[in-house]
Amino acid sequence: MTAPLVQVTDLRVEVGGRTLLDGVHLRAYPGRVTALLGASGCGKTTTGLALLGEYPEGAKVSGTVLTPAGAVGYVPQHPATVLNPARRIGALLGELGPRSAVEDALRRARLDDPAAVLRRFPHQLSGGQQQRVVIAQALLFGARVLVADEPTTGQDPETKRHLVTELAALVRDGLALVLLSHDLDVVRELADEVVMLRGGRVVRAGAWDEVPAVSPRRSAEPTAPVLAARHLTARHPGGALALADVTLTLGAGECLALTGRSGSGKTTLGRCLAGLHSAYQGTVTLDGRPLPRSLRSRSRAELAAVQYVFQDARAAFDERRPVAGQVARAAVRLGGLGPAEADGAAARLLAELGVPTTGRPAELSGGELQRAALARALVANPRVLVCDEITSGLDALSRRLILDHLAGLRDRTGLALLLITHDRAAADILADRTLDLQTVPSGGVSGSLSTAR
Amino acid sequence: MTRSWLGRRLLLGVAQSAAVLVLVFVLTEALPGDAAVALAGDNPDPERIALIRSAMELDRPALERFLGWLGELLHGDLGRSLVTGRPVSGYLADGLGVTLLLAALTLALLVPLALWLGMLAARREGSRLDRLISSATLAVYAAPEFALGMLLSTVLALRLGWLPPTAVGGVAADPAVLVLPVLVLLARPVCSISRLVRAGMIEALARPYVAQARRYGVPEWRVRWLHALPNALAPAAQQLARTCDWLLCGVVVVEALFVLPGLGSVLLDAVAARDVPVVQGLAVVFALLTVVLNLGADLVARRFAPRTELTR
Repeated sequence: MTAPLVQVTDLRVEVGGRTLLDGVHLRAYPGRVTALLGASGCGKTTTGLALLGEYPEGAKVSGTVLTPAGAVGYVPQHPATVLNPARRIGALLGELGPRSAVEDALRRARLDDPAAVLRRFPHQLSGGQQQRVVIAQALLFGARVLVADEPTTGQDPETKRHLVTELAALVRDGLALVLLSHDLDVVRELADEVVMLRGGRVVRAGAWDEVPAVSPRRSAEPTAPVLAARHLTARHPGGALALADVTLTLGAGECLALTGRSGSGKTTLGRCLAGLHSAYQGTVTLDGRPLPRSLRSRSRAELAAVQYVFQDARAAFDERRPVAGQVARAAVRLGGLGPAEADGAAARLLAELGVPTTGRPAELSGGELQRAALARALVANPRVLVCDEITSGLDALSRRLILDHLAGLRDRTGLALLLITHDRAAADILADRTLDLQTVPSGGVSGSLSTAR
Repeated sequence: MTRSWLGRRLLLGVAQSAAVLVLVFVLTEALPGDAAVALAGDNPDPERIALIRSAMELDRPALERFLGWLGELLHGDLGRSLVTGRPVSGYLADGLGVTLLLAALTLALLVPLALWLGMLAARREGSRLDRLISSATLAVYAAPEFALGMLLSTVLALRLGWLPPTAVGGVAADPAVLVLPVLVLLARPVCSISRLVRAGMIEALARPYVAQARRYGVPEWRVRWLHALPNALAPAAQQLARTCDWLLCGVVVVEALFVLPGLGSVLLDAVAARDVPVVQGLAVVFALLTVVLNLGADLVARRFAPRTELTR
């Protein structure tokens, strides 16, 4: 085998007495994929950034990191964050090389119409295109090693499959790929070598190994509907049809999975129910009484009754205030508790979900933050919980914790769950029924209740 | 998408202009007393006032006068002074030269100075230089321009005799008379805009896209000026538009302090004489200018923050 391009030996990173990495060994070879696998907070991103020579502020570092100088590219978990919103793609890439090289890099990253992409601002590109632009940027820079942090997170299965093919092609051309991921399917498909991290230590290294299985689901019995939506037709702010004539009911203790491709209106439907999207025709009722369309006209009880957990937990918290305080605030505003009671309730729920009860959002991992977001929704004692892709960005452990907790709540408290997801496994564990939203010829979508188990 | 945004923004501008016209008329109507009272002299005789009123058609119903005024306005006619009979546009022309000169000088110094100070302070957040610039700009911003004007005038003109204290001799005769007014006009905008640039730069420099640019070896000056600065400009551009607006329409205090015959002085005289058409004419021009400047600022902000939506 050829010499390694990246060689990490006994890397230790310590910040303020806390050990982030504890003796990590890692190698990456040209034309091969090394996957770093592990739960969020295990040190994947710290290791990935170490390959770029970047460490957290005030970190004490020991060990060696050998990389080809000036040839390590980085594709972060959210590619949009590294694309300057005020600059066109052409300006961004243009400063890294001549036009011909730019177009060549875009083509290698599978962007077929470079000229059109170069004229756009980042926000005018889809998530997949943004990711390809970031990959093209790395290629243009002359990267021989690419560090990709959770590249498949939050993408629908088809986009994910495309991405895997593209990455595989780049690796065939001689790129060394360091894949930070907890997406077992992708790791299985791409990785030549897997390094498994737990708590900053390598617990296993070598070829692909066995995958942990998911927990079983319980059996359901039908109950009276809590939430019902009849003939919902909704439009996007621009006027385009987002949903066409969807009807659904949700009983106490029931879980309905809402599936369908990106853009099929899953989120719009969830937002209509939660009062976040008011441009729709049709009715939404809670316990048989119509729910006002917008949040502003809903009473406190109605607000508390339907809660929503967003896909991006980090964006759903105020980064400047402690997480526990923000969870407690929901108990005050929606649950009508006093400040002391609310603090108690928040701390109890956070502890139950295994989330640290101190610290601001930046100090929590993505998985912990998503569980905190769930706690904030639950502290209001909702009747209905809308979960919008809440497990899609999470590692296997966090995902498992959340799914188990939701299953327990549904069985014990009769919470009605609407699970927006393209995670088949999550739907299989939790859902009693599945509503598959299909794109219809008119450009809109309609729903069909495909399975009732 | 962009075209529809522009369309909606222009429509908003038209609506704002219409609202402003109504407001100007209503507000000047609400001024205490009218031209007739002012013209009637120190010893007003009710009959004489009534006579002047009917001669000036001030006794016609307000709505009728509004529609008449609006019609003339749409033909570009701002009306004539009640006091001298000169066209209002003549009054505008009187003050415009000085006002434009002051505004142009101030802006020409303001933009580079504020950018430079803001970028300098943002070089290292919390550094000694940053703290110095931040406290100094806050202190100067807190000083009202009449106080600053009197202070500078006392020290630099009266005590030290370096500069002329007022522009009584005329601007053309001695351009040095402009130095003090421009300094006073510059002081607060430089502070507010440089502080916005600083805050915007610090925020932008902490963003992942800046880290990515540095990672890929983009030179530091390009990172600051081409990557971070555009993201820091949107709020500064809005503030700059407000400053332009203020410079063109409202530097009454500074003009009075330094005896500069700009639009502010023209407005002040017209208000004192209850010369309603002149006041209205100036107010309309000022208001439309405000609408246009804000439109411009929104276009600039939209370029540098392309995701911005119109707020309703």
